[in-house]
Amino acid sequence: MGIDRRSFISFLAGGAVGTLVTPIPWKLTDDISIWTQNWSWIPKNPEGASEYVPTVSKLCPSGCPVRVRTVGGKPVGVRGNAEHPYSRGGVTPLAAAEAELLYSPARVRRPLRRTPDQAYVAISWDEALAILEEKLGAIKGYRGKLAMVSGDPDGTINEVFSAFLAKAGSADFYLMPGEAQVAAKAWNDVMGGQGAVGYDIGNSDMVLAVGADVLESWGQVVRNRKAFADKRPHGEKPKAKYVYAGPVQNNTAAGADAWVPINPGTEAAFLLGLTYQVLKEGFRVDAAPDFDEFKTFVMSNFAPQNVQRVTGVAATTLVAVAKDLLRASAPLIVTGSEFGQGGGGAAMVAGLALNLMLGGLNRKGGLQALPDMPQVVSGAKDAKGLRSADLVAYLADVDKGRTPLPEAMLFYEANAAYGLPEASKAAATLAKVPFKASFSVFFDETAAMSDLVLPVPLGMERWDDICTPYGSGEVNYQLARQVIEPVFEAVNAGDVFLALAAKLGMSLGYSSFRQVLEAKASAIGADLDALQEGKPFTAPAKVTQYALRMNPGVLAKAIKDADKGGDIALAPVFYLRTGTGSTAVPPFNLKTIRDTELLGKESFVQLNAATAGKLGLREGDRVSLSNEAGTCAARVHINEGVMTDAVAALLGFGHTAFDAYSQGKGDNVAKVMKTRFEPGTGIPVWAGAKVKIAKI
Amino acid sequence: MEEKNTMNPGVKSCTCGALVAPFVVGLIGALIVGWWLFPPLLYSKKLQPVRFSHVVHVEDGGMACSDCHFNREDGSFSGIPNTGKCAECHAEPMGEDPEELRFVEEYVATGKQVEWVRYQVQPDNVFFSHAAHSVEACGSCHPEFEENPRELCNKCHPDVGGSDSAPAAQVNRITGYTSMTMKMWQCERCHANENHFELTEEDEAKHIKPVTRANNGCQVCHK
Repeated sequence: MGIDRRSFISFLAGGAVGTLVTPIPWKLTDDISIWTQNWSWIPKNPEGASEYVPTVSKLCPSGCPVRVRTVGGKPVGVRGNAEHPYSRGGVTPLAAAEAELLYSPARVRRPLRRTPDQAYVAISWDEALAILEEKLGAIKGYRGKLAMVSGDPDGTINEVFSAFLAKAGSADFYLMPGEAQVAAKAWNDVMGGQGAVGYDIGNSDMVLAVGADVLESWGQVVRNRKAFADKRPHGEKPKAKYVYAGPVQNNTAAGADAWVPINPGTEAAFLLGLTYQVLKEGFRVDAAPDFDEFKTFVMSNFAPQNVQRVTGVAATTLVAVAKDLLRASAPLIVTGSEFGQGGGGAAMVAGLALNLMLGGLNRKGGLQALPDMPQVVSGAKDAKGLRSADLVAYLADVDKGRTPLPEAMLFYEANAAYGLPEASKAAATLAKVPFKASFSVFFDETAAMSDLVLPVPLGMERWDDICTPYGSGEVNYQLARQVIEPVFEAVNAGDVFLALAAKLGMSLGYSSFRQVLEAKASAIGADLDALQEGKPFTAPAKVTQYALRMNPGVLAKAIKDADKGGDIALAPVFYLRTGTGSTAVPPFNLKTIRDTELLGKESFVQLNAATAGKLGLREGDRVSLSNEAGTCAARVHINEGVMTDAVAALLGFGHTAFDAYSQGKGDNVAKVMKTRFEPGTGIPVWAGAKVKIAKI
Repeated sequence: MEEKNTMNPGVKSCTCGALVAPFVVGLIGALIVGWWLFPPLLYSKKLQPVRFSHVVHVEDGGMACSDCHFNREDGSFSGIPNTGKCAECHAEPMGEDPEELRFVEEYVATGKQVEWVRYQVQPDNVFFSHAAHSVEACGSCHPEFEENPRELCNKCHPDVGGSDSAPAAQVNRITGYTSMTMKMWQCERCHANENHFELTEEDEAKHIKPVTRANNGCQVCHK
């Protein structure tokens, strides 16, 4: 019997029917459906035991205490530390993002050297140290040839850096700009105060925050929030009143009992207007010999009507806030900039003076004068010296030729090319420096213009510390614990500088940075074991003041400071969730960015309807913000939470470096933060900068 | 032999018998391929990187299952022990087995983890808690599991506790999962069963009611 067409079809039919009752079609269909879900990028749960390691975030500028959850020794998440007295379980959005950032595509994975064709090639640490040794050895001992910028506001590592520079013959060691420097200049230089400025928010029953975004980004923010929550238990009568004065209804304004909208840059006038009301009640500062002069200055210039004209605050509102301060048993005035930098000295002096008048100095719930911690690295700049060194002023002098251009600049977790005011101009000045080396976790804008890029460990990959962060009401010290070995070839910059110092024949007295930290703990009398368990060291010490000055002459000059470069006042807004200049926007936090903050590759600025109407702008219009410092592009979002004639702009966008999550997203507002030097105090100020807004 | 179509001369009539035979051949051939040849082709055999004997550890060494396989305090399951756990005893070779010597030199001395082949791995969209299915949890109503924990483990896992060498895992060439990986219907034998698990005569004698605490909501397993 032959095989004809019919029998072949019959054979196939039999095979098909038979196949249907075998696992072949069904199992293959099922398996293929499972296979389609096998994507390489789907994260796999790590194996192992869960542990929670208490430490403190060095990534977040607020120094948030946290517990890092590890599984099988690998960090998988960051949580609040319920047992820590400062955070009590709270965590900032930046600290919470750290575990994910361990594997960020923006991380510097190995030492890199820039070639003449601007490409970066990987080199070994030995080669990197040899290059540093050669470059720094050649300029060692020559004043003005070497400068360094640190992005760590309060770590002992700054002692290592500044001592290194001192031994190399340089005094040009600077911190990135922050609130602490403005407070120090106002308190130490203008008012003759001793110690560092601190605020006991937790024990105050009336907190007036002027500019300072105390519930969002200012100081030890989680601690502030817990203090706020403690005094305002749900369903009960609040035990403390919070008032916020500033041009934008930020989260502090939203949480406070009252938001007092004031024109940007007029904080000093507002505070002196309140001082006028307090002086009327007979309050004075006996410790200040020039108090009567100060009183005359205020009483003759800051009557409510005058203040209303300058600040936009109604006289009745001003009087009501003053009454609240007078009624409170522990009033506290916290002065700052809405975005944590660039605030004026006049406002800071006025805020501190008002605290003094209300009897707040070193009182529970008041202004605190905190002693600095003992130093452990010989030759390092003292804390006061660190605070008074001004990077913006230094770069302005370099730019104008008043100070020689350094031959080498070192950066430690400091993204100066992105984060400084007048960012484009600052980057251009830095570009002129012949040799630059950036010690950075991420490949940021400053790394992208450096000749040498050296990877440093992320906070949870290294031992580090925090010494009394700005905003704290008492002396405190916390240890940041290493939770995991560095994922890449990162080395603690403290160890690198100690090794480099030894190579250059200028020993700093320690062979490892861990020893420096142990010496610090010992010097302040802290229990190292307790610190390693995540417990903070605190000390009740306060600095008694003997000769304070109210300095009305300086105030009279400084109060006249105002930018005239445009019609609209720039009011930058800083959220920890969109990161800092050194971190960019953590991918973990992308979900928190609203469509009215960033849409596609365009960021937004916010105006109220009155301002928009005056400028002929509507929701979604594309605009440029410009002044002498530069230009910044954005789209318009109408928000009635912004004062008239002010434009709110969120910091953190417009990166040209980092990764796909930040690069090319929006524009950098720092480009239009025009800097001016405040008359009287000489402090560089970029809060309250004016811009012109034009539709494009 | 062909039959003539008397109504339409020239058209061949159907010979059913002649068509049945190839149909049956095709059917049988497909069944043979589908049931006998296909499964071995679909799965590859994967051996453990280190030969491990449960017999040596349990019967000779006197270890309990829970020495290595236990629930941690936070409810997570220890699963397969890591090299550090093994090194508690095998810091140095304990016998003369060359495989043990290799393990000590290659893994314990270097701290390297053994890439054990796991017989049952659920995808990450499945949340399974051993704590909820533990001897402590199940044993509260089923004392037999407390007396013989392996009986509970073997409800889902193959009984390898008495094996002298770990069996090869059959790894699906398409999905990457093993043939022992549980499918959802297997979970539903309990989760969708109002009797919770089949009641035995003994249970009924004890008047245990057919009440289930095994929630079958999607979110219970798919978080």
